[in-house]
Amino acid sequence: MMLAESLVFLAERLRELVGVDNVLSAHSDLMVYECDAFVIEKNSPDVVVFPRTSEHVAAVIKLCNELNVPYVPRGAGTGLAGGSLPIGGGVMIVLTRMNQILELNLRDRYAVVQPGVVNLWLTNALKGTGYHYAPDPSSQGACTIGGNVATNSGGPHTLKYGVTVNHTLGLEAVMTDGSIVQFGGPYEDAPGLDLVGTLVGSEGTLAVVTKIWVRISRNPEGVRTLLVVFDSVDSATQAISDVIGAGIVPAALEMMDQGILAAVEAAYHFGFPLDAEAVLLIEVDGLEAGLDERRDRIIEICRQAGAREVRQARDAQERLKLWKSRKGAFAAVGRLSPSYCTQDGVVPRTKLPHILRRIREIGGRYNVRIVNVFHAGDGNIHPILLFDERDPAQIQRVLAAGHEILEECIASGGSVTGEHGIGVEKISFMAKLFAPDDVAAMERLRTAFNPRGLLSPAKMLPTAGACGVEQVHPGRRAAV
Amino acid sequence: MKGLRLEVWKDQIDIMASSNLDSLPLSQTIAPAEQAGVAEAVRAAFEAGTPVYPLGGGTSLDYGLPARQTGIGLSLSGLARVVDYPARDMTVTAEAGIRLSELARVLAAERQWLPIEAPQPDEATLGGLVATAWGGARRYGWGRMRDYVIGISAVDGRGTPFKGGGRVVKNVAGYDFCKLLTGSLGTLAVITQVTLKLKPLPERSILVCASVGDLDDAERLLAGLVQTATTPSAIELLVGPAWRDEPSLPPLVPGAIGRLVVGLEGTAGEVTWMAETLAQEWRSQKMAEVTIISDEPAGGTAPGAATVWTRLRDFSIGEAELVLKAVLPPSRVCAFVSRLLAADRQVSIQAHAGSGLVMARFPQFAAGDISKKLLGDLQPAAASSGYLTVLASSIPDLTRQSVWGGIGAPLPWMHAVKQQFDPRGLLNPGRFVFA
Repeated sequence: MMLAESLVFLAERLRELVGVDNVLSAHSDLMVYECDAFVIEKNSPDVVVFPRTSEHVAAVIKLCNELNVPYVPRGAGTGLAGGSLPIGGGVMIVLTRMNQILELNLRDRYAVVQPGVVNLWLTNALKGTGYHYAPDPSSQGACTIGGNVATNSGGPHTLKYGVTVNHTLGLEAVMTDGSIVQFGGPYEDAPGLDLVGTLVGSEGTLAVVTKIWVRISRNPEGVRTLLVVFDSVDSATQAISDVIGAGIVPAALEMMDQGILAAVEAAYHFGFPLDAEAVLLIEVDGLEAGLDERRDRIIEICRQAGAREVRQARDAQERLKLWKSRKGAFAAVGRLSPSYCTQDGVVPRTKLPHILRRIREIGGRYNVRIVNVFHAGDGNIHPILLFDERDPAQIQRVLAAGHEILEECIASGGSVTGEHGIGVEKISFMAKLFAPDDVAAMERLRTAFNPRGLLSPAKMLPTAGACGVEQVHPGRRAAV
Repeated sequence: MKGLRLEVWKDQIDIMASSNLDSLPLSQTIAPAEQAGVAEAVRAAFEAGTPVYPLGGGTSLDYGLPARQTGIGLSLSGLARVVDYPARDMTVTAEAGIRLSELARVLAAERQWLPIEAPQPDEATLGGLVATAWGGARRYGWGRMRDYVIGISAVDGRGTPFKGGGRVVKNVAGYDFCKLLTGSLGTLAVITQVTLKLKPLPERSILVCASVGDLDDAERLLAGLVQTATTPSAIELLVGPAWRDEPSLPPLVPGAIGRLVVGLEGTAGEVTWMAETLAQEWRSQKMAEVTIISDEPAGGTAPGAATVWTRLRDFSIGEAELVLKAVLPPSRVCAFVSRLLAADRQVSIQAHAGSGLVMARFPQFAAGDISKKLLGDLQPAAASSGYLTVLASSIPDLTRQSVWGGIGAPLPWMHAVKQQFDPRGLLNPGRFVFA
């Protein structure tokens, strides 16, 4: 936190740089920005700026350098790991007013967007062209593409199509010295180091991205969406492992267990079987010529694994409703308990049966109810731990259970985050996932881009001043 | 102490075929059998200030600028094991020195593959493939090397081993060293081990070929392919003497400038449907002769699709004094091909046209003419929308600007990264973008 008079000075200078309408400094205004969708830790920025241009961003960063003030970029604030938490206060650079789609180029299969463009806007803008933007995080109606770049977001359909970095051709970024640099562009294989690939997923700790060249993807000719019903979680996870093991890469392969199904059904009335222990949502897409063959093979594998029933979405409308239910699953959790928190672990896909059994066992041991909805095809689990935040004993049990689940992911050869990021939430796990030399190499990379550490301080790496959040309270999370 | 360690290495020394290494000024070559040995060698070199040249199969030693400083060759041939292949997870972890053909053989036994092509797979190594970020025709449908590396272990310029990523297909923990090191040409760290995600082998793999009258025709067809109902895995434009009488391809129609070749892969049903559909699409665009090159050639005498894929893979290593690579928005490919032809009628060209990459093989250049053509004409032409670099050359005195193009504003940031990972500038010095 800054002294009152220097704060007034900072806000005044920023207003001169970007205009009075693009700066917030009143306490009541700043409260909105004290956290993102990771709500455990809160801290208010000293000033919020809404740059309209890359030059605005550059001017703001130069000012922060001059005054030695920390600064942190923020998109729509849907991040689940606290990546945009303004640790140490300072200036928050909110990019939501840089929200123009600058170019749609079908011939060269790319689009250029500003970072504040909402993920879904791009796909909507491409309607009717035969192309779409593939990464589809569940929060795609709210989250920005700039935020997607920062966390290297995934989504259900990244199983076949890949995550954000696989669709990012180029970036314009404002560097920590205030220079505006274009990395890559509307072509593949720019010479030199792949700094586009390095910046994607760096959680806003290396540079502030101000323009993005994304690859757009051809719409599939056809799609088959299946709802496969299982009487046991074991059979469902075995089926997932068998489908992947058979060399079939569905467009999406999602699992929901009985606990979450009850909430989703109450919220969306799709007609899910409430007595089933688990359902899989499996989608194959591509050429009509091969679709039924692949669908039938999947059905056969699921039946062999013990599926009780297979339903196919009859039409586009039913398919959309099914996906709406899945993507809205987290919003429905409020029906199950007053509070919840989720984890974003990853395991090798063959370890899914194991990790689901362990989650059940851990939940039982800590007396915490856990429901599951997740990107099964990628091995990316999202166990949801239910609790009542008015009960401190429950809170402690939930924290301990969550940690044990992530430790089990590491022990199974996996990771503690598949798509949400490290942010501040999982800093304490970095030392468990990586050796000291690995972390030291990451520090060196950060030093190359962010030598003074004013950009997004105390994020991602367990180094000076960033020992992670001492969690005393689990969070309630939005979309996953 | 040091002498003792060298004693250990002596058993593992693998003096590579000297012909391969002629282009490198090596005082000696060592081949450790473990990552610890690599780290120890680099640490010793770091302390002594000796340059280190990481060596894979030695197939890309003419890639980039020639090395000038004498140093040690650090061969990864002793690290060539498959470390872990959980086929049902569709990932594999292998050491950097494994040959591509050996890796492909292991994966094919499980009907899987890494769909990235590089010439001389019996020699070329996985580490080299990652270090050069090589990629071939199939990039249009299958993506690039950077899309497949999910975990990486390496030794930095101080001799410190580090790793990034992991063994799972989806992972955003920490900075993405997989991307940073892919294409870094061994200048930030010596890659020792790589984890890849894999794809199922397609059941069938065929090609469809047509002659194109001129470059306007070619651009019309290429633009049309953006909306094709098929899902090509490769879109290639082939022009020039190297392709004119290519026996594995249907004869060039007299007067035509070159051929358009499209790769189609998938199940038998998909491939059959796609071949018919694409042929129809092309006929409706007034392409008279469309030939389907099957992977099951009738009678077994005609060269089939496999031969064509190999020719496409190997174009860059054909006889040439200079091989250029341009990266462009795909719509600029034909215009750039036209510039190349204007520079030299004898140029042979393979464009991964769907992806905007153009490779050009110049059989010979009049001495003194090269820099004028490259810097004065071709590089500015490419720079308006992309980059032009030298892929391989036997010309001794090309400048860094000629070989790597003007990197521009990103270069200082690349230098900043280099400084952090290789502070003494000892890893593969002189060959990459770093002065």
